[in-house]
Amino acid sequence: MPPRPSLRALLQQQFPKATIPSAGVLAVGSFPEWDSLGHFNYLMLVEETFDVRFSVEEMAELKGLDQIAAALAGRGVEAL
Amino acid sequence: MTRITLRVCGASHLLPGAAAWARLEPRWALVFGDFADWPSAMMTAPADALLWVLTLEDVLTPESLQGLDEGALDDALAQLMAPLEARLSASTQPTVVAWTAWRPQSAIASARRLSSWSQAARRLETLLYRLAAQRPALLLIDLDAALAGDGLATAFDTRNLYAAGCRFSRKGLGRMVEAIDGVLQRITQAPKKVLVLDCDGVLWGDVVGEVGVGRIVLGGDGLGRAHRDVQRAAQRLGRAGTLLALASKNTAADVWEVFDRHPDMVLTRDDIVAWRIDWAEKAANLVDMAKDLDLGLESFVFLDDNPFEREKMRRALPEVTTLEVPADVTAWPSLIDGLNLFARFDATPEDAAKAQQYRNRAAFANARRGAADESSFLAGLDMRAVSVPLDATTLARAEQLAAKTNQFNLRTERHSAAELEAMAGSPAIVAFLTRLTDRFGDHGAVGLTIARIADDTAFLDTFLMSCRVLGRHLDAWMLQRLAVLLRDRGVQWLFAEFRDSGRNAVAANVLTAHGFARWSGPDGDRRRRAVADLSAIDGDLYVVDLEMLVVPHLDLFHAPAPQPTRSLTAAVS
Repeated sequence: MPPRPSLRALLQQQFPKATIPSAGVLAVGSFPEWDSLGHFNYLMLVEETFDVRFSVEEMAELKGLDQIAAALAGRGVEAL
Repeated sequence: MTRITLRVCGASHLLPGAAAWARLEPRWALVFGDFADWPSAMMTAPADALLWVLTLEDVLTPESLQGLDEGALDDALAQLMAPLEARLSASTQPTVVAWTAWRPQSAIASARRLSSWSQAARRLETLLYRLAAQRPALLLIDLDAALAGDGLATAFDTRNLYAAGCRFSRKGLGRMVEAIDGVLQRITQAPKKVLVLDCDGVLWGDVVGEVGVGRIVLGGDGLGRAHRDVQRAAQRLGRAGTLLALASKNTAADVWEVFDRHPDMVLTRDDIVAWRIDWAEKAANLVDMAKDLDLGLESFVFLDDNPFEREKMRRALPEVTTLEVPADVTAWPSLIDGLNLFARFDATPEDAAKAQQYRNRAAFANARRGAADESSFLAGLDMRAVSVPLDATTLARAEQLAAKTNQFNLRTERHSAAELEAMAGSPAIVAFLTRLTDRFGDHGAVGLTIARIADDTAFLDTFLMSCRVLGRHLDAWMLQRLAVLLRDRGVQWLFAEFRDSGRNAVAANVLTAHGFARWSGPDGDRRRRAVADLSAIDGDLYVVDLEMLVVPHLDLFHAPAPQPTRSLTAAVS
């Protein structure tokens, strides 16, 4: 099985034209393209990539990469 | 590549930016408006193509349908469709409506009566297709049918509905965009024309050359039934106008024995338009078949069970569409049935006629390949040619021939309809089309001849023939017919020019092959001056004395009595 891309790589995949900050906490609003709609699409991409499903509450609460990584870890999925 | 603007609107949130939409972006500049702005989107931007994703439950509630009689239901749906009708009145650009009426319903509640919701869904479908019959720009996608393959329950996602206002799941969104992409592609891309089938492993299981006709896997239950259904699916395509061909590494006699003797064969020899059954590379065989059919390789789709053969085909002929099929043959019948590659919006009589022409052409090529010698083959064709006048009834075909014929075309004069119309009425012109029938069918009007006359001298303005009847010496018949008509008009000298277009090499020798000689007289010769008055000459000029002309190959044709054209009759009288 090919290695799964990192959450940051998925961010670049979802927002191919965006300039993603190289340091600091990454969360909704970190760059202009990452708005609420973009975030919903991003979470669906994460779901597809890691074969998980977030609840409607999680879709509302998971705002940053750290939170998403923690939610994945809670399902036994390690995401870099 | 210039992208065409596609305005996307819907009653459900469509999640612009979701990965599913990326599929359309190479060809379409997607413009999403505001959420649920579909009525205003229909009224604006008539110059753009438009996609309306209609999720019925977002515009009609089940409660609103309770107790509605048929008339009231129609009124409600008419109100819903009014913006669409306005759009179709204002725009001829493609308007795609992808609709879904699916919602969970109790099987028990609809066991004895159709629910009001289902009634509305069926009525909507009827009204949409009725509208499509009146408006060629309207293209419909029944999403419930398109999404059913994966299961409708997996295509929708209540989590997405309550979190983002989108009824579709990620998977459903992907399948929907895939279906939309298929329909949009057909707007700009012609359907494929030829399905090339392998035999062993595709039409039947096992290898006929090894196990014999009696032991191949075909018919009955299990895999034999799947192979039979593969044949049925291919035959359905064939009967809808797709040309079926065989490319098999086999002994031809073994394959035809299966066709002729196996009781569970579905396909017949008549279904197969072209074939190459030998041990040559399949890519080379496809190139040969493309020549026989006079079709580009991009019109071909290749189906082979062997991944090695598929990979070789992809590498050798990337322009051929090589289907990637699973190893499990049981999946193939539905895979073939679901192919978009050959599908067309409407099946027109012209399409059917065109398909028949390709069949005739292939039959000719096959018979020629199998003939002992060329002359006896041609003599056995039972060719009947007839000239028809250039007049109002044939003008369109004459213009089409003048515009499209590149290969057998002496001067490649692209006469417009107006020019041809003027010629048809001129006493100084002899003009006719030539129709041909032979034992492979009626080829229609396939030749156009136009000569300009000045006293005893004429100039061959146009002499062309459709490539689909090349190799039959019809040019000889056309020339003889012209000679008869010109002699009736007192013409003795027929001048002609070969003008090299870069694509008409096949016509380069037609003049010398029929008795013309290169003109070598002085420029001051009265006949040469007459020709100069009739037409500008850029290429090599040839001349023949019609009193001395002996045209070869006329014995290949039945010789109907000369039929003066209407315009000629008028001119002579």
